[in-house]
Amino acid sequence: GAMRSRAEVDATLQTAKLNAAELLPAVHCLSFGPQAGAGECCLLQLEPGLCAELEAGRSLVIRGEKDEQAVLCSKDKTYDMKIADTSNMLLFIPGCKTPEQLNADQASCNIIHSQIAGFSNNYWELRRCRPKLKKLRKLLMEDPYEGPDSRKDQSLTFPKYTTEDLLSLIQASEEEILHQLQVIDACKIEGYWRILEFDYEMKLLNHVTQLIDSESWSLSKVPLRTCLEELGSLEPTEMIEHILLSYGRKYIDDDKICRAIAQMLLQNAVKFNLSEFQEVWQQSVPEGMTTRLDQLQGLALVDKSSRPQTIFLLKVEDLPEDNQERFNSLFSIREKWTEVDITPYIQDLCAEKQTVGALLTKYARSSMQNGVKVYNSRRPIS
Amino acid sequence: EAAPLARSGGAGGLAQWVLVELQGEVEPRQSGGLAGSLLGDLHYTREGIPVLVVGHHILYGKVVPLEKPFAVLVKQGAGEPGPAGPHAHYTVTALIKTKLLFKTRPKPIITNVPKKV
Repeated sequence: GAMRSRAEVDATLQTAKLNAAELLPAVHCLSFGPQAGAGECCLLQLEPGLCAELEAGRSLVIRGEKDEQAVLCSKDKTYDMKIADTSNMLLFIPGCKTPEQLNADQASCNIIHSQIAGFSNNYWELRRCRPKLKKLRKLLMEDPYEGPDSRKDQSLTFPKYTTEDLLSLIQASEEEILHQLQVIDACKIEGYWRILEFDYEMKLLNHVTQLIDSESWSLSKVPLRTCLEELGSLEPTEMIEHILLSYGRKYIDDDKICRAIAQMLLQNAVKFNLSEFQEVWQQSVPEGMTTRLDQLQGLALVDKSSRPQTIFLLKVEDLPEDNQERFNSLFSIREKWTEVDITPYIQDLCAEKQTVGALLTKYARSSMQNGVKVYNSRRPIS
Repeated sequence: EAAPLARSGGAGGLAQWVLVELQGEVEPRQSGGLAGSLLGDLHYTREGIPVLVVGHHILYGKVVPLEKPFAVLVKQGAGEPGPAGPHAHYTVTALIKTKLLFKTRPKPIITNVPKKV
């Protein structure tokens, strides 16, 4: 229809008994634009920081396969997306000015014809979440790298993943993905991210520890460059470099080496006699290194109730990623846990500023056993 | 699958829109649907209070700066069949940092009142 004129606006004011002198001179005549009802527009409520990112020209990405709940990612954070309903109607209007803007611009036009671009009674709400990184390890474990001399059937093609591939498959921000690749000691081989097959990794590590033993180097002063030169003839230098970086950036990481050797020993049986294991373990690590049970947090669990005491492999990265499923899994392994024992297995579930204590309050029930506080499941575990 | 939220607005940056929040539902008065039809006149008092005249009602509201701004997403390939919901491809078209909230009960405009002589 024809656009409203000033005369029509004034007539309406008069009928409404509104005093034009009490109003700013400019009026917005609101009408529905041609696409307003089509539902092509929707609203996304922005968490702190995201507005500034958009204004700075950085982009946001929605990630998720059809069977996954969509997440929104900025460069370094991940958010769950959820629809929030409102009982009110929200209209979104381009070119609509606030009183401040009208007052600032004295020359503003008397009538502003504004078209409503769309309307809605819901919007997308964001909630910061832990990046969903378990899939990353799962993808890279499909085809672990066994070294250049691998006798694996080369005719079998396994999928291999570049950084771009991972960005489109993993529900996490780029920085979170790159950080996790470092945490799991992945390395780039011929442009693809790979995880080393454990035996190959131990083989590489063994070269390093033997060299340290034979040269009698002090562990706090291992010359990494010399290692690289000495061992370059045994294995590809990139692989030696990778293992040196994994197990020591500026200095050799004893704890990490002891831990890897413990894993190698424990993965061959269901459980071990604790004192026998501790003896063999200490004998297996390079001279000068001291094994301690606290090096095995999140890797192995000691059963203090059995006689004799035993120890078995339990890797936190093999457990479910979802909070409730993780607790169900832990309680099916052991009915009652002390806080000290369970903490390494739930630490990674803590959201920003959340404590292990808060998680235990939410997902477990506490009781006293022999004067010690223990936690068990809130519901019966089948 | 990853769908980057594309940006419109080019070098000038994102447009700033305003949100108007009304109680109840918006229904077309004519049978032809909403597109093109008038909603009403939006005035501001000299104190900056928004006043909306819609049909036979006057609504008084207030200007609310949004603690959490909104991004307006427009579905790409509008009108074409494709995935709905978050898996569709969206463009960030504008930001909304201010809303005009109309929560007061509408005051009906009474017409045909005999003028005082």
